[in-house]
Amino acid sequence: MAWNIGANDVANAFGPSVGSGALTIRKAVVLAAICEFCGAFLVGRNVADTIKGGIISPEVFSGDVVVFGIGMVAALLAAALWLNIATYLSQPVSTTHAIIGAVIGFAVIRSGPGSVQWGKMGAIAASWVISPLVGGVLAYIVYRLIRRFVLQSRHPVYMAKAVVPITLGVVVCILSLSIIYKGLARYRLDLPLTTAVPVAILIGTFVTFAARLTIKARTASLRVRLGDRYDVVESWFGRMQWITACYMAFAHGANDVANAIGPLAGAVQVFRQQGAALAAKTAVPPWLLAFGGAGIVIGLGTYGYKVIEAVGKKITEITPTRGLSAEIGTATTVLICSKLGLPISTTFVLVGAVMGVGIARGFGALDLSVIKRIFASWLITIPVSAVFCAVIFHVLMYLRG
Amino acid sequence: MRNLGKLFGRSPFEPLVEHARKVHECVKLIRPIADAVLLGDVDKLRELQHDMSKAEYEADLLKDRVRQSLPSKYFLSVDREDVVGFLRQMDRMADDAEDFAVVATFRQLELPEELREDFLALVDEVIRVSESLLDLAEHLAELQREAFVGPEADDVLMKIQMICQMEWETDKLSRKLARNFYAMDGLNPVTIMILEKLSGALRAIADHAENVGKNLRLMITRK
Repeated sequence: MAWNIGANDVANAFGPSVGSGALTIRKAVVLAAICEFCGAFLVGRNVADTIKGGIISPEVFSGDVVVFGIGMVAALLAAALWLNIATYLSQPVSTTHAIIGAVIGFAVIRSGPGSVQWGKMGAIAASWVISPLVGGVLAYIVYRLIRRFVLQSRHPVYMAKAVVPITLGVVVCILSLSIIYKGLARYRLDLPLTTAVPVAILIGTFVTFAARLTIKARTASLRVRLGDRYDVVESWFGRMQWITACYMAFAHGANDVANAIGPLAGAVQVFRQQGAALAAKTAVPPWLLAFGGAGIVIGLGTYGYKVIEAVGKKITEITPTRGLSAEIGTATTVLICSKLGLPISTTFVLVGAVMGVGIARGFGALDLSVIKRIFASWLITIPVSAVFCAVIFHVLMYLRG
Repeated sequence: MRNLGKLFGRSPFEPLVEHARKVHECVKLIRPIADAVLLGDVDKLRELQHDMSKAEYEADLLKDRVRQSLPSKYFLSVDREDVVGFLRQMDRMADDAEDFAVVATFRQLELPEELREDFLALVDEVIRVSESLLDLAEHLAELQREAFVGPEADDVLMKIQMICQMEWETDKLSRKLARNFYAMDGLNPVTIMILEKLSGALRAIADHAENVGKNLRLMITRK
């Protein structure tokens, strides 16, 4: 499952940067591997907790924990199966939706619809609709700001040099906040909000000034011909696009690692405690997060780089300013959802963000029928993976005797 | 999931530029036709009229291709109406150029020396208008890339103003020509009718060129 995520989903995080020519494939793969792993390891816990214990009430299964473990394994298998079928049919399917559908399927087949926490589930479903919208609005705002203050200004190159470090600072600020606020307790990364915010702002400001000084030192004697101005502006944004791409990969790792290890965490817990009562609040162990992160990285290294290349070639319309806007919009939304423990689909948020840039006049033509296909995939994925899970669960139970 | 690429439709701007080039090809043919008219070379006129019809037909094909790249499921960075208007006005330029070529083959004209200079001046001015317009249209794809703002867009807006100015110049030249041939004694009435038709077609080309410019302005400033 983690392999699948690494092989297929990471491409969307890095596709824009590769498509705009800001990154080579080789660099993209290395950076994606590092950032996916960090995201999964440092911030992945919240969403994993949700999938493990937030959707179905573990108390229902306190009697037979082994069944719970088998159910979780069945959920993993079902989601992976449906994902492979969907990929074969080249349908847009989200790993998130597949795994959640599968978990629900298990709960319903085993102990009726009552065991699903529908309130929590409603919140998750709402976040699937809201998150692409939020991503779109954020991307729209970022691109509008770039357009207004850089492209439209009398001195676009000068403005680009001023704006790039600030953007960089903001990105780093949000990133560090996500790591240090309520992060991994073992590494003392669980500062309260009142300490975390000033520290993050301090780091962001530091990065801004450092970037400014570097840019100034490098471009002191550079002159730009009038006709080349736009290309120079794009190249400045291109130079920081590897950072927004990392931001994307980080956010993606933080949210999607849970799809692979959330159910696994449930199963592992069962086999460790060997029949002890299942506690809802047991945190996902860090080694499991690392395991999921490693799975994603392996998927990326063995197959994902091909997909990145394919996606990058298809979306050459994304220039650095556009890619950066879409990436910041997406990554910020996904990271916030990760912190809230909401499992969402990174790809669909990215689609929303690209739409946002389009509304800000960024793209020549966007094919709106994609939205229809996405809704259709939501409607199909959840019941299908639920049924798959139910079948696999029964087979496993039968094998057990 | 690799469907991100499917999100991007075929941008209408490149085919639009291609169409504009073909239209200018039609308008450019007017000069050799005018020369052949003055020489009274009937065979040459037939041949050129044939070339013109062919170019106009090709422009029509390109037009249909742009229309096809505008399905309503596409979200465009400009108003669809403006693209359609741009295309329609461009198309009329080619139609009028073909009209000019056809009318020129109706009858061998005997133009007095005094009118020739004015006639050619009008022809050249119309071709200049079309040339400047193509220069702007060539920027369309680039304008889109720069999100319709910035120095490039300002430059194009200024040049559109210039095209409007040039259209006025063609009007003045056409009026001067008309005044001369209507005032002239002993001119064959049929020659006058054909001259009227020819200069009418030329005026229409400049008119439509101006409208194309105005459509481009709407594309840039709207939204």
